[in-house]
Amino acid sequence: MTHPLDMSGRVVLVTGASAGIGRDAALLLAELGARVILVGRNMDRLNDVAEKLSGKGHGVVPFDLNQLDEIPGWMKRLAEKTGELHGVVHCAGVQQTMPLRATTVKPAEDLMRVNVLAALMLAKGLRQKGVRAAESSLVLVASVMGLVGAPGRAVYCASKGAIISMTRALALELAAEKIRVNCVAPAFVKTEMLEELKSVTSAEQMVAVEARHPLGFGEPRDVSHSIAFLLSPASRWTTGTTLTVDGGYTAQ
Amino acid sequence: MTTNEFYRELEDVLEMSSGSIKGAEKLADLTAWDSMAAISFIAMADSKLGASVSADKLAACQSVADLAALFPGKVA
Repeated sequence: MTHPLDMSGRVVLVTGASAGIGRDAALLLAELGARVILVGRNMDRLNDVAEKLSGKGHGVVPFDLNQLDEIPGWMKRLAEKTGELHGVVHCAGVQQTMPLRATTVKPAEDLMRVNVLAALMLAKGLRQKGVRAAESSLVLVASVMGLVGAPGRAVYCASKGAIISMTRALALELAAEKIRVNCVAPAFVKTEMLEELKSVTSAEQMVAVEARHPLGFGEPRDVSHSIAFLLSPASRWTTGTTLTVDGGYTAQ
Repeated sequence: MTTNEFYRELEDVLEMSSGSIKGAEKLADLTAWDSMAAISFIAMADSKLGASVSADKLAACQSVADLAALFPGKVA
């Protein structure tokens, strides 16, 4: 019997692949047979991940997603080398805890660029002839913060809510090109990003944050499995959806 | 940054009137000192002093003087 998440023969581009959920998704997709193209800004860290990937034919591509206008052309040139892309996973993103009183425009704009506009331009890049495969899947990483609010996180919540809305609109627009678009909405996962949160949150507050997860903090693999599902043929009839993977965070 | 300038920045974070912080205040007595103020203080330290402050170090501070002491060589 064929494994429902089998990714053999598929090429998948993963942004934010040097750390956290992106790194783990890349590792899992390679285990499932995909050829993975790792994208990030730090070549050394990408190479470290690449060395751990199962199988052959993977690639490492340093690229700064802040160069929004360059993204479609860059993807076109990339696909000429790698072959058409069956999947794109956008894991690159930044988080920010910033009370409104301390919020300024520039950091807020920077966050929206990477979290929202880079996702939009990746979708634009993927839909091009020669980049998309006969059937492709785009998976964006949103957050439970796009579904619920939290003090000090207005900009971050807005960016993740935008991803969830954009997912629905893109799913409709790109259905004709046989590109499925979905997103995952994790709660707090044990990654470098959680460590960053710890730096602005006391130990006592972190205990309270974990208590909001009936199943505790997640592991990167908990989210990677959902990403793999949304990329795989097992989800061929699923588009425009937000898959909440949150240990029960939003069930309350 | 002088100690007085630091007090003015702290007043901004806490939305207190200028000159109201003298340095001897206990944080527990400042009603505006809450979790959002603490994060705003961390952001101020980053932007105005180029210094990073961990939440745990901040949580250990009892007074305005303790806050100033988080930045040796930068607040004097």
